[in-house]
Amino acid sequence: MREEVRQIQQLLERQVYIADAGVATALYLSMALGKPLLVEGPAGVGKTEIAKALANALGTKLIRLQCYEGLDATTALYEWNYPKQLLHLKLEESSPASEAEKEAAIFGEAFLLKRPLLQAITEHERAPVLLIDEIDRSDEEFEAFLLEVLSDFQVTIPEIGTIKATHRPHVVLTSNRSRDLSDALRRRCLYHWIDYPSLDKELEIVRAKVPAIGQVLSERLTTIMQATRTMGLSKIPGVAETLDWANALVALQATELNDEIMAETIGCFLKDEADIATFKAAQIATD
Amino acid sequence: MEIENVVTFCRGLRERGLSVTPAEVVTAATVLQVIDTNDRDEVFLSLRSVLTTSVDDFPVFEELFEMFWNRSPRKLVERDSGATVRARNVSQPKGLAFFLENWSASVRAGAEPVKVPGASDTDSRAQKDFTAFSHEELDQISQLARRIVKRLASKPSRRWQPVARGHRVNLRRSLRLSLKTGGEMIELAYKRRRAKRTKLVVICDVSGSMDMYSRLLLQFVYGLQNSFAKVESFVFATSLSRITGELKNKTYRRALDRLASNVQGWSGGTRIGASLANFNVQWLRRIDKRTVIIILSDGWDTGEPEQLAAALAKLKERAGRLVWLNPLLSNSTYQPLTRGMQAALPFINVFAPAHDLASLRALEPHLIL
Repeated sequence: MREEVRQIQQLLERQVYIADAGVATALYLSMALGKPLLVEGPAGVGKTEIAKALANALGTKLIRLQCYEGLDATTALYEWNYPKQLLHLKLEESSPASEAEKEAAIFGEAFLLKRPLLQAITEHERAPVLLIDEIDRSDEEFEAFLLEVLSDFQVTIPEIGTIKATHRPHVVLTSNRSRDLSDALRRRCLYHWIDYPSLDKELEIVRAKVPAIGQVLSERLTTIMQATRTMGLSKIPGVAETLDWANALVALQATELNDEIMAETIGCFLKDEADIATFKAAQIATD
Repeated sequence: MEIENVVTFCRGLRERGLSVTPAEVVTAATVLQVIDTNDRDEVFLSLRSVLTTSVDDFPVFEELFEMFWNRSPRKLVERDSGATVRARNVSQPKGLAFFLENWSASVRAGAEPVKVPGASDTDSRAQKDFTAFSHEELDQISQLARRIVKRLASKPSRRWQPVARGHRVNLRRSLRLSLKTGGEMIELAYKRRRAKRTKLVVICDVSGSMDMYSRLLLQFVYGLQNSFAKVESFVFATSLSRITGELKNKTYRRALDRLASNVQGWSGGTRIGASLANFNVQWLRRIDKRTVIIILSDGWDTGEPEQLAAALAKLKERAGRLVWLNPLLSNSTYQPLTRGMQAALPFINVFAPAHDLASLRALEPHLIL
């Protein structure tokens, strides 16, 4: 294994992110080649966490763009601060400055509202981590626009000119696969798939993130979670739910998983009434 | 690993259907310069992240990689591959699968199914289409349905609508607002593009001759219905029933349960004309030019073709688009010669097959007005 890959793995571990060789290699390549990393996987397996852990590990800023339906350039890139511009003009009304000077003044950086993408490009100190979260929730038009930004890392604002990134940001995109992303975007990115963790890995995660939980309890809990994922529920709980549950058990100072504790905390990892019924039926069947 | 090997490997992937362009080959070659090529797992993971673009590509990649390095297949690093995903997908809708298998049989109870016309060709092919229908594909149907509905809902219209916080300054309104401050523009008004809302009406034939398709199609309709959009769904055999309410259910199985108990006349004969006429009486006023009507039927009508033609003419006049999906169209020798189909053809905007996932996918552009 390459030394850098191991280093990344260790750095992430220090951020309490249990990274397997796959994640570490993907991150290393993404940095070495300067390509965005597209991370896919079911909900709650820690896709977003990768970016957070990476930013912390590198000691750099995390800039997050949360995608949603209808997200457009003005909310993702930049917008002029119109009220401030108007106010400025009003104040300058009696000043002797010429019209051209006034116009130049209100289209300066002071009146520019930087949205995440522009922020990431103009970050001066060091390359930030740009997290484009749930890209599958944005529209296809936005995806095309994003492609343009991600290929050159430069933005042209008509009134100011072209702004080029001083440091190329480390870009992580996440997707839940709620729609197909375009081939162009996929091809531009390195690809990594995160699945639900194996029993051992999940155990490791729980112990790292919730150290207060006991040996026996953590084993019992992860075994149940692993079994739960094979029950064909409508909302399959992810690692996030496992951690929620573990935290709840610690808060309740539970030492074992009896029926009472189960009933109190089942809402931590099953969020659907029908799912709870299925789970209970399966439990009775195994008892 | 030599450059030649990389190129050959990439060509192999391409032959197996992965889209590996020269750009990726270059990247793959670059990658090998920056990793430890003696570490097989690292080579595997690195090339996989460059040369695949989706978890669906993983098995193909893995197989070729094993072949290429000619070693006994062994478990590679603790890998998060698609294999487990598939396993999960299969186990997941177990109840659903069971129900789907038994549902039509239990509901049919005695009704003699009308024979599917045309040679055994149609019969066996269609049969194969559906018995081969995996749960993964069922999943994909719902995904497709969601996607279509999303496109329907989020098409921007040319018209603007004022909003409180938004995208563009609404100059006209802002000027108007400035009047109350003596011509000073202090408060700004905004506007944004109005979303174009297309409505969807699905009318599904569940008569005997459609039996093996209606399972697939109902799954599709269920997917459409349970996304956030204006979708109305109906089924008919000898008479029409509205099933919008029944389908609005958390699980497909429950939806089917309610359907089976609330809707009469499954798998019987077909009276398309009468059913559509009935639709017109009750629902025509809800139809406007922003409505796409989808009729799923094989066109075998035991009623009078004149009645069907009249009903469709009325529908056509009100609706934005009339789509007729006929599963039999998948058969290359099929000709829409039945009297019903002949009567219907002049009024149909889009006449397309609907026997498998690909045909449903091809439908997508037709649904956007």
